[in-house]
Amino acid sequence: MSTDTPDNSRYVAVQATDEFAGLRKSLRNFIFPMTVAFFLWYALYVILCAYARDFMAIKVIGHVNVALIFGLLQFVTTFLIAWFYSRYANQRLDPIADRIRAELEGPEDAK
Amino acid sequence: MINAAHNPFVIPTVVLMTVATVAIGFYGLRLARTTSDFLVASRMVSPAWNAAAIGGEYLSAASFLGIAGLILKNGVDVLWYPVGFAAGYLALLLFVAAPLRRSGAFTLPDFCEMRLGSRRLRTLATVFVVFIGWLYLVPQLQGAGLTLATVTGAPYALGALLVCVVVTANVALGGMRAITFVQAFQYWLKLTALAVPAIFLVLVWNADGRPSPVDGLTFPQATVVTIEHPATLTMTDGSVLTVKAGDELTFPAGAAVPAVAGMADGLDWLLPGRGGSLFGTYSLILATFLGTMGLPHVLVRFYTNRDGAAARRTTLVVLAMVGAFYLLPTIYGALGRIYTPQLLLTGDTDAAVLLLPSAAIGTGLGGQLLAALVAAGAFAAFLSTSSGLLTSVAGVLATDVFGRGGSVHTFRLAAVAGGVIPLLLALNVASLDVSQVVGLAFAVAASSFCPLLVLGIWWRGLTAAGAVAGIVTGGGAAVAAVLVTVLGPPLSGWPAEAVAQPAAWTVPLAFTTMVLVSLATRRHLPGTVGATMLRLHAPESLHL
Repeated sequence: MSTDTPDNSRYVAVQATDEFAGLRKSLRNFIFPMTVAFFLWYALYVILCAYARDFMAIKVIGHVNVALIFGLLQFVTTFLIAWFYSRYANQRLDPIADRIRAELEGPEDAK
Repeated sequence: MINAAHNPFVIPTVVLMTVATVAIGFYGLRLARTTSDFLVASRMVSPAWNAAAIGGEYLSAASFLGIAGLILKNGVDVLWYPVGFAAGYLALLLFVAAPLRRSGAFTLPDFCEMRLGSRRLRTLATVFVVFIGWLYLVPQLQGAGLTLATVTGAPYALGALLVCVVVTANVALGGMRAITFVQAFQYWLKLTALAVPAIFLVLVWNADGRPSPVDGLTFPQATVVTIEHPATLTMTDGSVLTVKAGDELTFPAGAAVPAVAGMADGLDWLLPGRGGSLFGTYSLILATFLGTMGLPHVLVRFYTNRDGAAARRTTLVVLAMVGAFYLLPTIYGALGRIYTPQLLLTGDTDAAVLLLPSAAIGTGLGGQLLAALVAAGAFAAFLSTSSGLLTSVAGVLATDVFGRGGSVHTFRLAAVAGGVIPLLLALNVASLDVSQVVGLAFAVAASSFCPLLVLGIWWRGLTAAGAVAGIVTGGGAAVAAVLVTVLGPPLSGWPAEAVAQPAAWTVPLAFTTMVLVSLATRRHLPGTVGATMLRLHAPESLHL
């Protein structure tokens, strides 16, 4: 753990700014809906396997059926969500963070 | 059973791979000087190295051998496992990776103290880190023993002992930075060891006129099958044959493979969700989805990223690597049905990856070299997962059990202690089912550290008393389920299911207890909670 003692009043000041609230809100707005969406998509795969076996058994090419394609798509969506998040964080979250820093460090320190 | 005992290349390849591992460990030793170097590699590891290292320890023997075996036996059902493992990384990225890195804590107990300021909670977290670490180490060592026994006929204890000694020495002498290089090397080794034979196997399959892995399975050559587990076989003429362990069946080349009761057959093999209950499936999904973030050896790796953006990039690369890796056991499982169908009868399906190269390509030079490569890759899997686990167990033991000084000497002592105990367990405990114990380790992590991390990072109302109560109830219940599974009497009906896959009830239990007790003890909220939350969520460029 870091050994420096944090200056509490400074933390509280940042905590109170609209930017910080906005930063946390943007983060939550991405993370929670995305998690719910992914979990539903994953649950859909499991539920279709359990209850829609005729649909999952439809062959697409050779022995490759819908179930197999669904399973592989799970990997693809996992990766895509992670990629979206990375982009979202770089484009939307980091600029807000930089603004907070600029305000906190005062106009004379800011670049 | 086809045995690779006559393969002269297996032992040299395994030895070469082990020597390379040790050499990289010593190369890293020159760079590791202070305790901080040992524990988090001074946060100077690049995302690509870090991601390969995470892949190296995350893709354990259970994935390398177990999933191919499960696919051979159960069909594409088993895609749930790897999808869950990958999704677990996504949950880790979204919920905990960046805030945890910013917390500045080296270990999970450090995080507990930093967030809630409770020594009692810290001690409890230490106990859970060590328990999960050991629970995950025992099957690794056992698997190493069984692998070496399968490919060389060596006694079971030798493989376990070998892995334990190499890993302990490497961790004790090199620490985390060395381990980062070792792990990254292991990932590429594992990928090569699976991918190169897979390419040849697919070529052979192509040359054989692409036989179907789904129906009409036949024995490629005359085969004598020694039954290891009692089973009911349905012959192709419709007659039913009950066999017991020790029975020998002889099949001429081209004979049809009988169907085994309880195993996927024909078109069913391509459809998930046939075997097992829905409860077990949901439980496993919950355990893998939420348990990944609670595995101590996975978490510690995120401390070695330079900043939040690097942590995000690392996860992205890991997801790509995990996805690429899991395509390979699928190929082995499918081809195993064509070339090693006798494993369906013996029940020894975990050996599919090890036996497939010589079975499909032949026992000539090429087949032997590929078989040796696969064996070395399997060994690499045991070495790398065990290294990562031992590093985190030793790190926690060194800071919390052997005194708080955290000197390099203490870390080495802790590494030896952390390695000896699972070895003794692995040598003495009767054979545990590898993939089931791995699932249980995920379940314990999902019911203890997952609620602690998610609530600790995202809810200011969490109190120390709430966290302790949640971990004791949810994590304790999962631990009890583990102990009953390993030591208790065989169960039947719904208690058996609830105990074999406990996550579906222990995770909600842990979350609910944590929230309710926190609300009841609201007056004891740590006074610094505002500052702590800011530190977790504010960008680190603030330098607060």
